[in-house]
Amino acid sequence: MNDQLNATFAALADPTRRAILARLALGETSVTELAKPFEMSMPAVSKHLKVLERAGLIARGREAQSRPCRLEPGPLREAASWIEEYRRFWEASLDRLEDYLRKMKPAKTKGPRANRSNRSKTKSKE
Amino acid sequence: MAQAANAANARTEFVFNRTFDASREDVWNAFTQPEHLKHWWGAPGSTVEIAHHELKPGGLFHYRMKFPDGRAMWARFIFREIVAPERLVWLNGFSDEHGGLTRNPWVPNFPLETLNTVTLAAENGKTLLTITVVPFDAGDEEAGIFAGGLAGMKMGFGASFQLLADYLARRS
Repeated sequence: MNDQLNATFAALADPTRRAILARLALGETSVTELAKPFEMSMPAVSKHLKVLERAGLIARGREAQSRPCRLEPGPLREAASWIEEYRRFWEASLDRLEDYLRKMKPAKTKGPRANRSNRSKTKSKE
Repeated sequence: MAQAANAANARTEFVFNRTFDASREDVWNAFTQPEHLKHWWGAPGSTVEIAHHELKPGGLFHYRMKFPDGRAMWARFIFREIVAPERLVWLNGFSDEHGGLTRNPWVPNFPLETLNTVTLAAENGKTLLTITVVPFDAGDEEAGIFAGGLAGMKMGFGASFQLLADYLARRS
């Protein structure tokens, strides 16, 4: 499973491969059809398809010469839920911070003396 | 979040914003003082226990996240830049109980550490917090994995990948 996430994210790092996946989300497609929107040679598109296939993100038919491609949703779903977790980590942290700040006693920002000493004490740079 | 989307192609960075109805000093304190951090920091559903917190450049913040099911995970900050109350920079990573860096438990080739920057800007009595996360000292593969995850995050559930999300929903 860990290797799968590694492989999925490595495949998603490329914008053309993401676009190919988005296209395949509409349905099974031949390589020729797939190559159309990209100003790219067939071998270049094939290269991307190989990466996607190796990562288990797409499957290709064996029968027809066009070897139609289709999306394999399993690994993408797994990646999506990990990404969602990562995003939620920050969202939820900021939600909790927001709640906490509401309960927290405000610092005495009106007192210029307290303010200044606080600043000089903590201000530092690498 | 538009900012985050723009960054997708330009640079590999994860950006997050939130405006708080609080002063910069309060947000700064909540982010930098252990007695405040333990009340809100950590993974969703976890309770944070702070083993060490030393707010100085090179200082360590080492904590354990305990989950309701009994699991526990250690993680750490190494502070790099501390400019109260406006800018905090740290290296962020998972760790063992002794504070040694460990790999991401889910995606082993995720960058071992990320460089996280929090900036606080005062806006009409409120505070805009911006978090930026970039890979730190990552090789090509690690950087690629971060970029892929990031792209998935920015696009996957936004514009063109909505199709994909719909497709996945239909298939499930």
